[in-house]
Amino acid sequence: MNHLRKVTFLSLIAGALLTVACQREHDDPGTEYAPNMYHAISYEPFRQEASFKNPYNKFGNNLWLPVPGTVARRNYQTKFGKDSTFVEDLMIYNIPKDSIGIAERTLKNPVPQTEQTLADGKELYTRYCQHCHGETGKGDGTVGKVFKGVPNYSGSGYKDMNDGHIFHVITYGKGRMWPHGSQVNPVERWKIVQYVHELQKQQ
Amino acid sequence: MVLLLAALTCSTVWAQGAAPAASGGGDAAAGEALFKNNCAACHAASDEVVVGPGLKGVMTRVPNKDWVYKWVKNSSAVIASGDAYGNQIFNKYNKLQMQSFPDLQNADIDNILAYIESAATAAPTADQAKADGQGGATAAPAESGLSTQYFTIILVALLVVLALVLLVLIMIITLLTKFLSNRKDLSDDDRELLEQRTDIGKLLQSAVVKGAVLIIAVLLLGKIGLDSVMRIGIAQGYAPKQPIAYSHKLHAGEYKINCAYCHTSVYKGKNASIPSANICMNCHSVIKNSSPEIKKLYTAIENNQPIEWIRVHNLPDHAYFNHSQHTNVGGLACQNCHGDIEKMEVVEQVAPLTMGWCIDCHRKTEVNTKGNAYYDKLVAIHASKEPMKVATIGGIECSKCHY
Repeated sequence: MNHLRKVTFLSLIAGALLTVACQREHDDPGTEYAPNMYHAISYEPFRQEASFKNPYNKFGNNLWLPVPGTVARRNYQTKFGKDSTFVEDLMIYNIPKDSIGIAERTLKNPVPQTEQTLADGKELYTRYCQHCHGETGKGDGTVGKVFKGVPNYSGSGYKDMNDGHIFHVITYGKGRMWPHGSQVNPVERWKIVQYVHELQKQQ
Repeated sequence: MVLLLAALTCSTVWAQGAAPAASGGGDAAAGEALFKNNCAACHAASDEVVVGPGLKGVMTRVPNKDWVYKWVKNSSAVIASGDAYGNQIFNKYNKLQMQSFPDLQNADIDNILAYIESAATAAPTADQAKADGQGGATAAPAESGLSTQYFTIILVALLVVLALVLLVLIMIITLLTKFLSNRKDLSDDDRELLEQRTDIGKLLQSAVVKGAVLIIAVLLLGKIGLDSVMRIGIAQGYAPKQPIAYSHKLHAGEYKINCAYCHTSVYKGKNASIPSANICMNCHSVIKNSSPEIKKLYTAIENNQPIEWIRVHNLPDHAYFNHSQHTNVGGLACQNCHGDIEKMEVVEQVAPLTMGWCIDCHRKTEVNTKGNAYYDKLVAIHASKEPMKVATIGGIECSKCHY
């Protein structure tokens, strides 16, 4: 009897110590409460569960590439300006990658420039361009210094580049710069173009 | 390319003789400004290859100075004319077209060449300065290392002193016991006290000790049990190892790349989006392309297989959350919920992401109505009363998030 009690005591203490020692690992998200309420039934794009594999996708995930030729419409406008400045543009960009000359000759910024669009352009420039091209477009951004080959917007070969050229380069890239069309939609690109023109004027 | 050629032409001119070069060259100071504005993106004044060739000694390589002028102003025309050296350079540097600089005058190009020449001779001092700088940098960490060393030494010394004190005390007790046991005039009670031995076995058997151990064990187990129950469904502190050792500290902290550059939909959509490999490649086409971690990225692209980044922040399906509502409309910074991401080597879930945590913030936060006409009437109604919090306009309604 006495012996039994001793064993109980010791196992209690050992148990307590073990539980303290077994803190949750950093790789462990912990126990999930009511998983059938946690997990989406629909195919959520970023769904990631060990037990789930999308049966229709080679890699089992829910993310898909859009069908080739898809024109994204939901997130941007097609109508700009009022009265005399009114423009309607579906922003379908069909000029192929190697035809920057066509873009330079034919494209014109459909987004009428206002204080707001320029401010948007600056914000977008800060998010998507600044770390390479630098705050003032001198090509001296934090990444640009390491990446090398980033031009100076106000340099002699660059300060006259027009709407079409800048839009085409953002969409498809040029030289060492890779395409950024997947990150900024056409309206955003046109706003960035407006701000880049401001930077070109700098000394 | 044009710059390259320009640089090349420059060096030949210099090669013809140092003295004439200096006089026939140009203003190196003016050249420096021109070089930095127009050439430095792709060329170094040393022999380091940036995008195009390093321009040190360029005039020893190019056919003549006129060739440099032509090349800088329009390199594609030079290549198209079938110029042998132009085509050789063009092919050597991956057929990357050099930008044309039609605005640069011959005098400007002379100035740039003068700068390249002067930079080549000045280069060693720059290296030396760099070396000095490194020396200074190493001195600082040594100092902080010294202080921790002192700390350890003091700690060890204290421990030694304690051990010595203990030893002395034990010696005194032994001596005293021996001295007392030799005395004959002790009473029975005193003798009993003297010969007393602690019986550990008996002590453990005593009810007091048993009771104390039992109570402590029950309390401890109770606390642990309660803690682990309270943590169910809360993944705070979750920091999984990702398939590629990507560091937010380096990218967002040191290089100051904006969050939205990779998480493109964070201002537009429900999800912040996990970047696809093409966004990584925007920089890693060039940067660190021999690192084993970056090789994993290349392999993924070659196999056309998405990288399976492990999702850190998960909300249950029965709670609706939209990033754009908080970032774009509310104007909140990412760090509000995600912590100091720009200091994290491995991303960790900082916030508990519980309902209480959401509601707490909705109760405290004033609605950011600045420049948003949608709220004008609401603001007017609330103007005389308490400030308009998120909770005031339905931020804690059940159906806002659960529907």
